[in-house]
Amino acid sequence: MTLLDVIFAGNDAVYGLTEKAIDDAIAKYGEDKAVSFPSTAYSLPCYYAVTGTKVTNLKELKEALGVVKTLMTREPRLHDGFMSGIATALCAEFIEVLKYIDNPTPYEAPCAGHLPDAAIRELGVPLVTGDIPGVPVIIGKAPTAEEGAAIVKEYQAQGQLVTLVGDIIDQCAEQGVKMGANVRVIPLGKDITSVIHVVSVAIRAALIFGNIKPGDAAGLMEYTKQRVPAFVDAFAPLNEVIVACGAGAIALGFPVITNEETFSVPKSLIVQKDVSKFVATSNEARGIKIKITKIDIPVSFGSAFEGEIIRRGDMQVEFDGSRVDCVELVQMKDLSEIEDHKIELIGPDIDEMEVGSKQQIAYVVEVAGKSMQADFEPVFERKFHSYLNCIEGIMHTGQRDMIRLRISKEAYNAGFRLKHIGEVLYAQIKNEFDAVVDKCQVKIYTIPEDCTKIRHEIAVPTFDKRDERLATMTDEKVDVYYSCIMCQAFSPSHVCVVTPERLGLCGAVSWFDAKATHELDPSGPCQVVTKEKPIDERIGEYEDVNEVVKKLSQGALEEVSLYSIMEKPMTSCGCFECICGIEPFSNGVCIANREYAGTTPLGMTFSELASMTGGGVQTPGFMGHGKHFIASKKFMKAEGGIGRIVWMPKELKDQVADALNKTAKELYGIDNFTDMIADETVTTDPEELVAFLTEKGHPALSMDPMM
Amino acid sequence: MPFNRKAHKFSASIGTVEIGTGDKAIKLGGENVMPFYTFDGSMGDGPKVGVEITDLGLDAEPQGVKDYYAGCTSFADIAKKAEAMPGGDFVVLRLAGGDPNGANKSTEELVAIAKEVSDAISCPLVVEGSKNVEKDAELLPKVAQALEGKNVLLMSAKEENYKAIGAAAALAYNQKVGAESAVDINLAKQLNVVMTQLGVSAQSIVMNTGSAAAGYGFDYTISTFDRVRAAALGQDDKMLQMPIITPVASETWSVKESTAEESDAPEFWGPVEERGIAMEVETAVACLVSASDAVILKHPKSVATISEFIKSLM
Repeated sequence: MTLLDVIFAGNDAVYGLTEKAIDDAIAKYGEDKAVSFPSTAYSLPCYYAVTGTKVTNLKELKEALGVVKTLMTREPRLHDGFMSGIATALCAEFIEVLKYIDNPTPYEAPCAGHLPDAAIRELGVPLVTGDIPGVPVIIGKAPTAEEGAAIVKEYQAQGQLVTLVGDIIDQCAEQGVKMGANVRVIPLGKDITSVIHVVSVAIRAALIFGNIKPGDAAGLMEYTKQRVPAFVDAFAPLNEVIVACGAGAIALGFPVITNEETFSVPKSLIVQKDVSKFVATSNEARGIKIKITKIDIPVSFGSAFEGEIIRRGDMQVEFDGSRVDCVELVQMKDLSEIEDHKIELIGPDIDEMEVGSKQQIAYVVEVAGKSMQADFEPVFERKFHSYLNCIEGIMHTGQRDMIRLRISKEAYNAGFRLKHIGEVLYAQIKNEFDAVVDKCQVKIYTIPEDCTKIRHEIAVPTFDKRDERLATMTDEKVDVYYSCIMCQAFSPSHVCVVTPERLGLCGAVSWFDAKATHELDPSGPCQVVTKEKPIDERIGEYEDVNEVVKKLSQGALEEVSLYSIMEKPMTSCGCFECICGIEPFSNGVCIANREYAGTTPLGMTFSELASMTGGGVQTPGFMGHGKHFIASKKFMKAEGGIGRIVWMPKELKDQVADALNKTAKELYGIDNFTDMIADETVTTDPEELVAFLTEKGHPALSMDPMM
Repeated sequence: MPFNRKAHKFSASIGTVEIGTGDKAIKLGGENVMPFYTFDGSMGDGPKVGVEITDLGLDAEPQGVKDYYAGCTSFADIAKKAEAMPGGDFVVLRLAGGDPNGANKSTEELVAIAKEVSDAISCPLVVEGSKNVEKDAELLPKVAQALEGKNVLLMSAKEENYKAIGAAAALAYNQKVGAESAVDINLAKQLNVVMTQLGVSAQSIVMNTGSAAAGYGFDYTISTFDRVRAAALGQDDKMLQMPIITPVASETWSVKESTAEESDAPEFWGPVEERGIAMEVETAVACLVSASDAVILKHPKSVATISEFIKSLM
C-alpha cells in the first residue's frame, strides 16, 4: 500500500464511523436536536473555519458530512491526501461534538476535551509572543512510560504547551507528571478523535489572532503553517486512522514525527527511531527555537562585570595567546553535523592546571541554520569579547588568535570550569542570533598539540580567507548595497549608503556588518539598496539608490553620488571618523581625523570642518568618512581618486600608510605615495604646502581643476 | 496683485482610530492637512483632550486638582468626576503604582482599579502602564482581558513588550493599542511595522512618539512630530499614518517650574499652581499645533483652556 492508500483507507474508516454515529444520534434524538461545543462562539470551530458554515443541529451536521464527503477525492495526488486528512479531522470533530449531546462534561479530569474560547485567548497571547515556543501533540503509547514522561517533561521545561492523546496520558499519570493548563500539559482524551480539540485551538487562534475569515480555507492553512508552531509526535504502532489524521496535521503545516518505520516525507513526515531524540527532531522540524532565560553557570552573568579586571595574584589560570597557541573561532557547519547544545571539553580542565600558570586554549563554536551565512562568522566572533567579559570572574581581551583569558580564583572556587565558557557562548549566540542560528555546539581544546593544530591549520587559514574576501570585495562584485540610518535620531535627514568599498562614515559599519544587521533585524536600520538603474557610473549615481535616499531622508535628500565629493556628495551625520575637504591652492584635498586637534591648511580645525559637514546636508567639496575609506579605490573616484590627497595629520597618515601606498601603486604606479602627502610636521600653510607638493611631484598638481 | 490663496492638499490622510463605545465613543485622527489647516482640508473630528487620573489617588496632586475631586472617596468617584470635567473627551487611567521600583502594586489590585474606573464611566477610557516594560507586559494584557468589550486604548506598548501588549490588546480582546517610542521617527515606524507584522491592524494603533515638558528637550519631541507628519501626509507612508496621542500632564507637573514653591523660586515666577497650569497648557498647545491628535492633561483649568483653544481653531 502506498502512503496515499493508507490515508484514504483511514479516512474512509473514520467517515464510516462518523456517518453511523450521526445516523444513530438522529435515530435517538431526532434531526432537530441541537449540537454544540460549550463556551465557544465558533460553532464547530474546524468545520466553521474551513467552510464558513455554522452547524446547529443534527440535521445540519448530517448535511455537513455531505460537504466533507466532497473533500474525499481519490486521485493518487498529494492534494487528495491532504484533503482527505482535513476530511478525517472534520469527521473527528463531528464524532466529538456528538459526545456533548445532553452531556456538558463528557470528559473527566485529567482529560480536557473541548477547550473554551477564553482559554484560547489566554493561551494565544503567549503563543503570539513566543513565550510558548511550540505546541507538541503527543499521540499513542510511548515504548515505556519512563520514556514518554521524559519527553513530556522536556517539552514542559522548554515552556511548550504539551497536549496528549491516548495511552500517553496514563503513562504520564503513572510517572507522576503534573498535568493541567497551568503547567502547560493538557491531556485531551483517550480516543484518537479527541486530537481535534487541539486542532480546534490552532484554528480558533487563526480566527481570533489572525483575523482569518471563516470559509477562507487557504488563508487558514497559511496562518496555521506560518504562525501556529504545532507538531505531532506519534508513537508506533500507527494505524491508518492515525495516518489519516496525520495527513490533516500536515495539511495545516504541522509536521509529524514518528518512531514507526514508515514512509517518510521530507519536512512533513519524519521517522526518528530513537524516541529519546523526539524533542530535538521535532523542534528542528518545526523550526522551534528555545529561548535560554538562564545560563547554567555557577557565577553571575551581566554587563556589570564587563569591565572587571583580574590581577595576576587573583587569577587561577591564564590563557595567553601572546605566548602559547590560543584561538577563538566560529565555524559554519551543515545542520546535520551539529548536535544542538553539545559542549565538549577535549583535554584537561582547570582543576588539572597549575595555579597561576599560562595555558593554551582553543574554543570553536560551530553553528548551523537554514539562513546562516559564512559572512556572519566574524560578526558572531566579535561578540565573544563582550560575552565572556560579562561572566563574573572572567577577563577577556583581544580577538582571533591574539586573545588572553583570565579566570579568577573566586570563579574557580565557585565551581567555574571550562565547559561553562561553552555554556555562555552557546546561550548568547542562540539568543542574540536566533534569526539565523538553528543549532550550535562548542568544542574546547586544551591539549597543546590540538591548540597548535587548530590555530595554524584551521583558524589562521580561515582568517586569511576572510581577510582576502574583504580585501577583494568590490562594489561591482555585489548586487546590492545597504542603507544605514542608525544616526537619524540626532541627524534626521542623513542616510549612509554602505558599499563594500565605502564603509559607513562612522567607521563601524562595513558592508558585511550592514548585511548582517539587515538579516538579523529585517525591519531594522539597515535595508537593502539595489543599484540596477545607473544614471552616471562615473560618480556612482543610481536611480534606485536615489529613491531609497529620498525615502529614508523623508524627502530631504533627492540625489546622492557614491564616488564624488563635488557632485551630490553623500551626507554626513556627525559621527564621521575623518573629514575630507577641498584645498583650492593645490587642487587637492586635506583630510583631518577626529583625534587631530590642530589646524589644517584649510585654516580650519576638525571641529570647524565638522560644523560645515555634519547634520545630513550636502556640502560639495566636503565629506565625512571612515578611516578605512581613505585607501579605497572608490575614494572620490569621480575626481581622480586618492591622488588628490595632499595633506593629513601624521598620526592618521601612519595608520593608513600601508593600505594607501598599495592602492596608489595599483592605481598610478607610484611607490611610497604617503611620502608625497604633507602633514602638520611639514606645514599647515597653503603656500608652503604647494611648495612641498611641487618638490615631491605630487600627482594632484597636474590633475584637472576640481572647481 | 490680489492675494491668491492656494490650498496645501495632500493625497494621504491620517488613519482614524475609534475608542470607547456608544454615543460617547471618539475618533482620533482622520485629518488630511497640517494641524488646524481647516481652510485647506479636513481635521477629522479634531483633536481630543484626555483627563488623567492615577491609581495613586490624589495626595500628591496640586491643590486645584484636589479641590476638583474633593469629596471623592473611591476610584469610581474620581473616575466619574474626571468624566464630568468640562472640556474633557475621555478619561486616562495611569497605573503609575505598578512600577516595581515605586509602589509596586500587584497586577490584581491594578486590574481591579481599572475595572472599577471603567465600570464607573461611559466615556472612552485610555489606560497607561507603569513605565516598567516587564510589569506592563504582564499588567496590560490582564487589563485588556478585564475590560473586554469596552474598546479601550492600552498605551505603553514599547519595542521590548509590544508583542504581549499588542497581541492581548488588539488581537485577543479587540481593544486599541498605543505604540510608544522614544522621539525617533525610525523607531516609531519600526514599532508600527513589527506591530502590524504581529497581526495588529493599522486601524487599531495609536502612536505616542514621545513627549516632554516644554523646555526639557521638547524640540526633539516637536521635530519628531514634524517629521512623522511630513512622512505620513507628504510621502503617504502608511506605517506612520496612525494618530498621535501625547501624555502631557505626567511630563509637565514634575519639572521645577511646576513644583518649586514660591519661596524657593525667583520672585517673578508667581504662584506655583499657576506655573504648573501654564506649563501644561503651553506644552499641550505646542503638541497640538505640531501633530498630536489627543493630549492628556489633568488640571481642570488646563483642560478647559485647551478645549476652548481647539474649538476656536476648528
